[in-house]
Amino acid sequence: MNILVQTKRRLSKFLMAFFKKKKARIGIYGPPNAGKTTLANRIAKDWTGEDVGLVSEIPHETRRAVRKTDISITGSNGSNITIDIVDTPGVTTKIDYKDFLEYGMDKETAVIRAREATEGVAEAMHWLREDINGVMYMLDATEDPFMQVNIMMIGIIESRKLPVIIVANKIDLPDASPQRIRSAFPQHPVVPISCLEGKNIEDLYEKMVEHFG
Amino acid sequence: MPHRCVNCGREYRTNECEILKGCRECGGKKFIFVPLVERSVEEEPAPSEEPVQRVQKEVKPPEEKLPPGYEPLESIRIVSPGTYELNIEKMANSDERVVGVGKGEGSYLVDLLSMVRPKKKKNKK
Repeated sequence: MNILVQTKRRLSKFLMAFFKKKKARIGIYGPPNAGKTTLANRIAKDWTGEDVGLVSEIPHETRRAVRKTDISITGSNGSNITIDIVDTPGVTTKIDYKDFLEYGMDKETAVIRAREATEGVAEAMHWLREDINGVMYMLDATEDPFMQVNIMMIGIIESRKLPVIIVANKIDLPDASPQRIRSAFPQHPVVPISCLEGKNIEDLYEKMVEHFG
Repeated sequence: MPHRCVNCGREYRTNECEILKGCRECGGKKFIFVPLVERSVEEEPAPSEEPVQRVQKEVKPPEEKLPPGYEPLESIRIVSPGTYELNIEKMANSDERVVGVGKGEGSYLVDLLSMVRPKKKKNKK
């Protein structure tokens, strides 16, 4: 298995060097607790067999951007893309340590978490400016998509002319409304999925090959 | 500051010297000082309301309208330790990179090199 994977990677690198094909770096952005790391883990698990990061119900679990390189995704028509996935900390306009206290965290840990989360947002925005070629903007389909941070982020992504797929996550929940997200951002493709259950995940891979390829 | 005759209730403005001679109505020589707040709740003739209205206008808080083109300077504002306000647009557009938020109130670290680093050329990796 390992020999096969190594050979595949070497061949892929050789071909990319030969054809000078640039590998796309796809950032997973979105507000906290939308399921960004769950999606990154699922993509990485499905195509490389490895995980990317830890997930938790407490917001701002991911406080540093995590990169998983050389993920090769094949569409149903045989077309293929090789990408780096960058799982980023949740973007928000306000971080308050008091929000973490209700999860049973002590004040000192909550203050440290808030500080790290703030640094994480700054880092996420830095990578968006410098290093990202495409964006998967992740939204919780049970939440209101018209939040200021979403409108602002989509505007920033559009102004940078980056291709974007909006992922409407958590469609397994009864309150989910992907249609609300579609009507909020009609100018971009919206793929409703459930990262947790893997529902519609194949549709997302198809869209990724089509959109980022 | 107005004064009111204790006998008939007629009011006189502060600078009127007549009160030294006595009330014009009843000739009384006892007057009581009436504070502005008390006057504002009483029914009074129109001329005596003017100073109250003026004072009320003066205590209105100034309007906090930002001038056109105003942009907050900071990309991260530390409201208190552990509470932060983030200016996403500023972060997306400015070249500086915040690498760490300090422990003290209002302090954060910025990567100075990121500000002076030349922009990457599109075709160059």
